Amino acid sequence: MAAEDRQGKGLAGGKQERVLRFTRGERFSHWVHAISFFLLLITGLGILSLWFRPVLVLFGGVQAARVIHRVVAVIFVVVVAAMFFIGDPRYHWEWLKSAFTLTKSDRQHVGAFSKEFFGGHGEYPPQGKFNGGEKINSLLTIFGSIFITLSGIIMWFRGSFPPGVVRWAYPVHDLSMFVMTAAVIGHMYLGLLHPDSRASIFGMLNGYVPVKFAKSHHAAWYNEVKGTENRFHL
Amino acid sequence: MARKMIFVDTSKCTGCKACTVACKEWNDLPAEKTHLIESYQTMRDFTPKTWTYVTFIEQYHNKTMDFFMRKAQCFHCGDPACLKACTSNAISKSADGLVVINPDKCIGCGYCAENCPFGVPKVDVVRKKAYKCTGCVDRVENGLTPACVQTCQPGALQYGERETLMAKAKERLNEVRKRYPGAQLYGEHEMGGTTYVYLLLDAPEVYHLPQHPSVPVSLTLWKDVIRPVGSVAVGGAAAAVVVGVLGNWFRGGYRREGGPPDGGEHHSPAGKAGKGGKE
Repeated sequence: MAAEDRQGKGLAGGKQERVLRFTRGERFSHWVHAISFFLLLITGLGILSLWFRPVLVLFGGVQAARVIHRVVAVIFVVVVAAMFFIGDPRYHWEWLKSAFTLTKSDRQHVGAFSKEFFGGHGEYPPQGKFNGGEKINSLLTIFGSIFITLSGIIMWFRGSFPPGVVRWAYPVHDLSMFVMTAAVIGHMYLGLLHPDSRASIFGMLNGYVPVKFAKSHHAAWYNEVKGTENRFHL
Repeated sequence: MARKMIFVDTSKCTGCKACTVACKEWNDLPAEKTHLIESYQTMRDFTPKTWTYVTFIEQYHNKTMDFFMRKAQCFHCGDPACLKACTSNAISKSADGLVVINPDKCIGCGYCAENCPFGVPKVDVVRKKAYKCTGCVDRVENGLTPACVQTCQPGALQYGERETLMAKAKERLNEVRKRYPGAQLYGEHEMGGTTYVYLLLDAPEVYHLPQHPSVPVSLTLWKDVIRPVGSVAVGGAAAAVVVGVLGNWFRGGYRREGGPPDGGEHHSPAGKAGKGGKE
């Protein structure tokens, strides 16, 4: 898949230079996580609350939804975890490492970011492949996924755990859900709706983001990778 | 309707298990094969076919043995943890004080089972419904006493107005204490006052009952803190997105095309006119 194929698609018309941000494996993990997250969210909310219960008709009723929730949960955990070990997992580990490496420049980005979120101007130093805000989102997702998985396992196999443990799994499962749902709302806004940052969605569709976007949002990363695209495998 | 009470005077219980049989008869619960668990006890726990059974504990003091027998069933709490935990509004509490699971609404999630401090509700894995003693709500609401009370031969079970019966229970406790100094009432205050109130001959632990049963902290935290705060947080995130879209709109973010108007460091050239989201 050459960058040329993508030019002029969707964005500001005209020819635009592109740079590869996400490899096929990264995109695959992202979308497996995203789609399974939403299936889990909808089926879970339907089980958890009468408000959302009617939605479960789409899944064939409550009992079918409970089964689907478990099947999708396995995909949510196993597929994404496996992507850290199969194919070319280098960038998965790179992302993980970067999420846990919060620098001063990340903190400055997070501070300035609230203005930008609402359409204002924020001043922050050049950001890496993942800026401060994205790292926060990554951390919420990582810890949310870990806690929702552990509590989910306890809830699924509740007969094998003491009641005192199972009782705590419910609030942990719920809290993780709330954290990740709040995060994904902001994440989707920035990826799809925010005028300055929504160009990033292409990084998750075909892998490439406009060079101009890369320069303005991830300057430090862009300077590192420009002219070295051969290091990517699509 | 004033709150009712069932007084379980274990000092009068003979362990005949007629209560179990009467319960089965009224509630159409078939008999099942039993075997001795310990002493004369034949059920280890509740099953979909057995909602009440008698526990037997043999207490040895100075070469004499006391049978501590206790009819086990749902306590029908004044402040039921199961009701709080239920996802489906399937558990209700009547004015009498009976806590009842509506099987039509129940989805069998088991949250009630896990949160009951007494471990009473169970999930029938075949029917995928939670079950437990109903307190014979269908009898009580028609002026009858619960089937177990109706059948109890030694008078270990009495049904009546909570206030009057509680006073009688305390009188009885004073008598029983002469022989069993450790005797106590269990359920007067526990869990908001339970509908089945026991006169136990010894400490609750001897009967394998929790000394201070309570609504689990995790349940209160979950339903009264995490749930409302989490909902507000998700709502807040959604509101922030709406404000963000409007903010960008008014500041011209969606009108910029081709490049940043001020050549700013962090502005992407990507904004295309329109409401976005279609990419």
